[in-house]
Amino acid sequence: MALKDILTPFTAWTNVFKPVVTIKDPFNDRPGAERYRGFHFNDTSKCIGCGSCEAICENEAIDLVPVEGIETKDGDSGLRPRVDYGRCCWCALCVDVCTTASLRLTNEYTWVTENPEDLRYTPGVDVKPWDNNELGWKKPEPNYHFFGQKRVSMPELHPEQRDKSFIEIVKGYSKEQAILEADRCVECGICIATCPAHMGIPDYIRAIREDNIEEGFKILYDTNPLPEICGRICTHKCETVCSVGNLGEALSIRWLKRYIADQVESEDYKRILQSDGIANNGKKVAVVGSGPAGLSAAHYLALMGYSVTIYEQFSQSGGMMRYGIPEYRLPYDQIDKDVNYILSLGVKIIYNTNVGKDISLSELKSKYDAVFAGTGLHLGRSTRIPGTDHKHVYQSIDLLNKITEGKEIHVAENIVVIGGGNVAMDITRSLARLQNIKYGKVSIIATSLEDENSMPADREEVVEAREEMATINPGWGPKEILIEDGNIKGLRVVKCLSIFDEEGRFNPKFDESNTNFFKADMIVESIGQGMDIEYISEDIKKDLEINNRGRIVVDELFQSGAKWLFIGGDIIQGPDVIHGIANGHKAAVGIDKYLNTNI
Amino acid sequence: MNDIIQDITTRFSVTDIINKRENLTFVTCRKENTISLITHLRDREKFTHLVLLTAVDWIEDNLFQLTYILNNPTKKIDIAIRTMIPRDNPVMESAHRLWEQVATYQRELKEMFGIEFPDSPRLNEPFILEGWNEIPPYRRDFDTKKYSTETYFPRIGRGTNDPEEYMKSKLYPNDPTK
Repeated sequence: MALKDILTPFTAWTNVFKPVVTIKDPFNDRPGAERYRGFHFNDTSKCIGCGSCEAICENEAIDLVPVEGIETKDGDSGLRPRVDYGRCCWCALCVDVCTTASLRLTNEYTWVTENPEDLRYTPGVDVKPWDNNELGWKKPEPNYHFFGQKRVSMPELHPEQRDKSFIEIVKGYSKEQAILEADRCVECGICIATCPAHMGIPDYIRAIREDNIEEGFKILYDTNPLPEICGRICTHKCETVCSVGNLGEALSIRWLKRYIADQVESEDYKRILQSDGIANNGKKVAVVGSGPAGLSAAHYLALMGYSVTIYEQFSQSGGMMRYGIPEYRLPYDQIDKDVNYILSLGVKIIYNTNVGKDISLSELKSKYDAVFAGTGLHLGRSTRIPGTDHKHVYQSIDLLNKITEGKEIHVAENIVVIGGGNVAMDITRSLARLQNIKYGKVSIIATSLEDENSMPADREEVVEAREEMATINPGWGPKEILIEDGNIKGLRVVKCLSIFDEEGRFNPKFDESNTNFFKADMIVESIGQGMDIEYISEDIKKDLEINNRGRIVVDELFQSGAKWLFIGGDIIQGPDVIHGIANGHKAAVGIDKYLNTNI
Repeated sequence: MNDIIQDITTRFSVTDIINKRENLTFVTCRKENTISLITHLRDREKFTHLVLLTAVDWIEDNLFQLTYILNNPTKKIDIAIRTMIPRDNPVMESAHRLWEQVATYQRELKEMFGIEFPDSPRLNEPFILEGWNEIPPYRRDFDTKKYSTETYFPRIGRGTNDPEEYMKSKLYPNDPTK
């Protein structure tokens, strides 16, 4: 303790003989003004524990603490702010920055306690007399925010510029737009848990804000070797939990990721990622399928020094990313940009080779030290309603494959698509373009069991499909394909009332009296895909565990019952690209562990 | 109000006239004319009450802004006078001869911003800070957080959690890629 600390209190004595300027009034209440900044209250049911209050506090008066009964889950850290009133200066910045408007200051300002520790408590959790006090300082609504509430809108082609071609719709942010959008991030990190790959989202967004593209690019590759692809078509679950999205629009995390990847030229990848001269460790790994899971596993294995060979059934890489997703959403040259970098690490792809037909899995087992299989979901499922055996009833996935390969497909004048997911929208919008090119008009209806509000497709897919003149008419169950004289006349449907029963099982209920008829001379089924694991021979299958839902059981490193065989991607988790990437990454770590410690 | 503003615009070259409300107008005045303008408003226009005197640190422009809000109790109107003074030599003529209590405001501004008001009574006595050795704390280059950390931590019982790390420990503690 310094001398001044001892002497300073005595300076107060110099005031002892001066006239008193405060008044003593023990009888009357003196409530704080309407907007007085008194003790905190936090609506803990609205609070998500993002920690913006703690981050902005200049006095370090706030700690984030776990609270009994509040669970950590997607979009909620489970933490809540605890205030140290020995530090608080009542500035209310914590209230003004709050991303959920859960935190406020009441107008209560007097509280006497003998225990100084009482003056540190968790508002809204530790009950206080002023908790129901409505007066005090609240975050002024609606136009007072420390960060932009609206997204920087993404420049896109207008419907009439895009409905006759497969040119990419989304143009990408400019530097100014990206920095402006990045500036809205509060860096809470709540999104990281929800991203299947747990990408360092706030860190790469900060790199954009600081205009440090190379740093951002390195952060992307820590967890995701397909940033051009994910920057375009990721299902962006992260955005559904963005704390800024509680009162405004969530950050455009996906577009910001794309912005970083778009800025980096292919020839600079190796320099930035410092991936030249990796020493080969002499071990070989085979990967089945060059989809996101296979490419991700190959990438991380190659970085660890493994010689990786991918076996691909098609003539080009990418799996569903190339053969499922239309070019207007994900241009092929962008897939190539990501894949070429992985190839530059020494990864080989053997094309047009179907494991199970052209080479057996057992052969791979004998030629390589370990195998990763990410074979995806390539078998279209059928509704099996009467008429589905007609030659003009197609599976969406088969048509999308053919469009990618540039093969001619049957395009009828009137088409009905059965399905309400993203693949259904992909085929609807692809066929709408082809109808437009062939007939100069669009006549396509997509229908699904789910109603408008529960359709699994991304909202923007539905909106954009309608902009391109496709009809989306959800909430109907397909009954029968009407065929006259060998020609399809249309699809008979009945109103769907509910899809799942009380136990949450798929068990749709229909109102048979409410029917509809969609005229068509071609039907496309797009109700999901199944896996084809015929390539896993019986002698290997006997080592695998299959659960009651028909899925192969793997451990957290994606190792199957056959220790040398690791399996990931859509056949295990998803289906989506980012789960595949995360699975592939973990499997790469697993394979490395297996080959070094023989787990 | 409009007549008054028109009059002081010609007499005292005020600029940046902002009508905040029907009964509140902000004007900006050069430093050397400010006390004359305030005297004129008090004595001629009957703005007899000083509502407040405060300051803002425009560190980017190397300026302090002083704002005097004056009230005319008869007409129930307010005029706020803003004036800019250099930040690296922050000296302003004292207004304590117009209203005695201005000395208290000026004492506060000396303590919190380091603005000098020569001849202002008790200017250098501590106002609310006792034994303060740092730069004036309302200056924006004062690092509040650093001061807090150095002065008050560690305090027994305090401890915090980072949402990202905490969620990881709860939701994916064994992720092998992390």
